Amino acid sequence: MSNIAGKAYAINVITPIRWWTGWLNKLIFWFAIKIPKTLNGLITLSLIHYARWVIVGRDQFPVLSPDQPKENLRYSYMLFFSNFNGSWEQYVDSFTFAIPSGLDMFWKWNIRYPKSVPLTPFHDYIRYNQIQTDHYYNAYPMAASNDVKSAKKLHLALMDFDARLDVQASDEAFQKSFFKLLRDLQHDMATMRHTPIVSMAAESVQIRLAADRVRRETLTLE
Amino acid sequence: MNRNKSGNAYALTMLCPIKPGVKDNRIYADLIRDQLESWNLAPVSPLAKVPNTYLCRFFVLDDIYTESLPGASIWDALSDLSIIPSNKQRLAALPHTDSLKSRYLVFTSNLYGDVDAYLAGMWQYMQDDVKSIWQYCYGFEDVVDAVGFKAYAKKCCMDSSLFFVGSNDDSLADQLKALYIKQEFSRFAQETQDLSAPELKLAYTAFMQRVKPRDISSPTWTAGVSNAGFDK
Repeated sequence: MSNIAGKAYAINVITPIRWWTGWLNKLIFWFAIKIPKTLNGLITLSLIHYARWVIVGRDQFPVLSPDQPKENLRYSYMLFFSNFNGSWEQYVDSFTFAIPSGLDMFWKWNIRYPKSVPLTPFHDYIRYNQIQTDHYYNAYPMAASNDVKSAKKLHLALMDFDARLDVQASDEAFQKSFFKLLRDLQHDMATMRHTPIVSMAAESVQIRLAADRVRRETLTLE
Repeated sequence: MNRNKSGNAYALTMLCPIKPGVKDNRIYADLIRDQLESWNLAPVSPLAKVPNTYLCRFFVLDDIYTESLPGASIWDALSDLSIIPSNKQRLAALPHTDSLKSRYLVFTSNLYGDVDAYLAGMWQYMQDDVKSIWQYCYGFEDVVDAVGFKAYAKKCCMDSSLFFVGSNDDSLADQLKALYIKQEFSRFAQETQDLSAPELKLAYTAFMQRVKPRDISSPTWTAGVSNAGFDK
């Protein structure tokens, strides 16, 4: 099991929804796409890399072989997958505190959804319906979502600064313009480091490699 | 409108039914789990070989779950109107519980660009790994090449209702280069704080020649490597 890869956490929540309210939910998502300002609250949660909602109809589970039994389900299912930075509690609580009504809008029609406030029943609901990830891959384990965004800004600003640079200018003039660049980018600069536990998987690898090293050294001595 | 796309980013969601077989006293779903667990112990995930994968995950869905605690629906409230509800009323207020007939391998990927090219890349760069887990799934027995894998994957694909991109939809190469530049430039700014103006200008010129901000391919971070740019 590995819900964590570097600074990212993978959450999978699968919740039942009546087939006809499933269509209603699809309509709500459609409106959210058509009227982007409905997602403004979500944008404030800058800890998210990528997130998606998928509604699988009760008769939409894939059937790939005549030997495979067809599902016979009462409910459709809403699948929520998110990639975020920080801990489970930080993420779930940030939803509750930052966009409680948005959260209720997306989950309102799901069976036994207790609403986002108060917190404890909401935690219980998410925990009950969360499925653990078996393998999680992150292309940039050291970077948070905010690092990806600020890195783009910094990269573009540096190229722009370099393109505008007057090579004939004095050293002092260069220093002045460079300091201005640093001031403009001060919110985007930071070295990225390992979190205390990069990932359970990575930590396991480190422990195993260390054990292998000790074993090899012991064999050499013998 | 393709709701799996947000700009250049694509949300791939696959639900792949697993056969109910047993091998060496272990069910196929657990053999898939074993394989995925072995990837967790590898220094780098095989997914790092597939171009343009931002973040992706695998898990085995054994069944679906329905919480039976009261929620916030009108039926839950109405069931409490009686002063002493009967057992029948209490039980009627509980939700129906579904159960799956097959287990499913769930694969979701957040990727850049065209999904067909991505699936072809999966086959090209991690074919053996793909076979090692999907061999236990219904319908995969006919897959022998990239075209077959794409056709199989399309049958398992589920459309997103909403795909939210919280970071950006640049190509992975662009993202990795930008992160490399951020790391190096932040360090450069820190290390050159006490330099005089002539020294700073010289250091800056050398820095720009070293990091090559306009060359996306190199130097840059390596996808999936957890110490990228740190242990220099």
